[in-house]
Amino acid sequence: MALPEPGVGIGWRPEIAGFVGALPGLRFTEVIAESVHPGHPAPGLLELRDRGVAVVPHGVRLSLGGAEPVAAERVAHLAACAGALDAPLVSEHVAFVRAGGIEAGHLLPVPRTRAALDALTANIRRTQAELPVPLAVEPIAALFDWPDAEYTEGDFLTELLERTGALLLLDVANVYANARNRGEDPAALLDRLPLERVAYCHVAGGAEEGGRYHDTHAAPVPSEVLDLIGELCGRHRPPGFLLERDGRYPPAGELQAELDAIAAASGLPPVT
Amino acid sequence: MSAPFDHGPFDTGRFDTGPFDTGLAAAQEALVRAMTAGGPVPGGFDAEAVRAAVHGILLKRAGEVALAWPALAASYGTSWRTEFAGWAAGRPTLGSFRDGWDFARAHRDDLAGEAGRELAVAEARWRHAGAAPPRPRRAAVRRVPGGVAIQVGGRIRVFGRRPPH
Repeated sequence: MALPEPGVGIGWRPEIAGFVGALPGLRFTEVIAESVHPGHPAPGLLELRDRGVAVVPHGVRLSLGGAEPVAAERVAHLAACAGALDAPLVSEHVAFVRAGGIEAGHLLPVPRTRAALDALTANIRRTQAELPVPLAVEPIAALFDWPDAEYTEGDFLTELLERTGALLLLDVANVYANARNRGEDPAALLDRLPLERVAYCHVAGGAEEGGRYHDTHAAPVPSEVLDLIGELCGRHRPPGFLLERDGRYPPAGELQAELDAIAAASGLPPVT
Repeated sequence: MSAPFDHGPFDTGRFDTGPFDTGLAAAQEALVRAMTAGGPVPGGFDAEAVRAAVHGILLKRAGEVALAWPALAASYGTSWRTEFAGWAAGRPTLGSFRDGWDFARAHRDDLAGEAGRELAVAEARWRHAGAAPPRPRRAAVRRVPGGVAIQVGGRIRVFGRRPPH
C-alpha cells in the first residue's frame, strides 16, 4: 500500500493549522493542492513534512471526469505539490468541474456510461504519466444522477480502478450522503467495491436542507457516518481515515472529540 | 488580502491528445450552463434535485468569498449568504477573489467602513482586467472611507482619520 499505516488524520487548512500541527500522534494530513505554492508551501506544512507526517496533496480542480483532456499545467502543479511535500501519493475526484470554458464552482457527477468511463480513463492515465507518486481517486457526493446509466456505481468504479490501476479514496460521508438521498442502504455499496484498493478514507459532516442531505464539511460528523466506518472496517479496514472540515470551525475540543470518535469507530489508535 | 492565486478558468496549455468525445463534452457543457448560467436543465435530470445542488453551490461560493473578502461579507451580517447567492445565481464563478470583487463593484455605493476600505485596497493593488486574471498595479492611489490608500511596489499604506485597524 502506498501509504503505510497513516491512521487517523485531519485535513490541513490555514484556519486550523495550529490545531493540526499540535496533534501529538498525527501521521498524515491532506492539503488542497490548488492552495499550495510548490515553490514556498506554508511553513506549517513543511514542519509537518519534516516531522515525518505524510502530507497528501488533494486536488479539486483537475476535472478528471471532463470530456476534454485535463490541462497540462494543472497536472504539473499536482506533480510539483507532491515533490515539494514529499507526498507518498496524491488524490483527486471522479468528477468534472468545468465544461466549455465555464467553471461549475463545484465537483459535478459524471454519467455512468461507457463514454464517461473512457474519458475518465484517458484523463487518469495522462495524469498518472506525469505524477511521481500513485494517484487515488475519490467518488463524490452528488444530489442528482445523470439519466441513462449503463453501469451501477460499484461496477463503474471497479472497472475504472481496474483500467487505470488507480487507488481508491473512499469518502464514507459521500457513501452515506448518496445512499440517504437516493433512499438506498449505504452498506450495500461497500459490498460492491474493491475495498483492498482503498488508500485511505474521508470522513466529514453535513446538514439536511429541504429534505436533502448536503455534504458541507461544515458540521459535526453524524453518528450514521461513524456507524458506517464500523461497517466498512468489519469488511476490510482501510489504512487511514481523514477528517475533512472546511468551514464553521468548532473549538479544538470538538475536533479532538471527532478525531477520537473516528479512531474508536475504526479501531485505529487515537492521535489526540 | 491574499493574491488571487487560484484563478481557475484561465487554462492555456493542453496535452496533445487528439480528438475527444464531443457528445459527452456537449452534454457536460449543457449541465454546467444549466447550473451556473441560467440555461435549461437538460432532459432526463431531476430538475428539482439539480436546483437543490445549485443552491448548495451558491452557498458554498458565498462562504469562499467571505474568506477572501471578510469585511465585505461581515458588512452584510447574517444576510451575506442570501445576498451573495442572489447576485451570483446565473453568474459562473471566476474564483472567489474575482467573485467577491465583482460583487463589491456591483454594490460599491452600498459599501461603507471596512468593506469600502477592503475594496479600495484591492483596487489599489490589482487592476480589474475583464475576463482575464487581475493584474497587479505598480502604484495607485484610491479613496477609502475617511482617507486614502496608497500602493507602491506592492506595499499599501492607508492614511486618514480612521486608523487602519
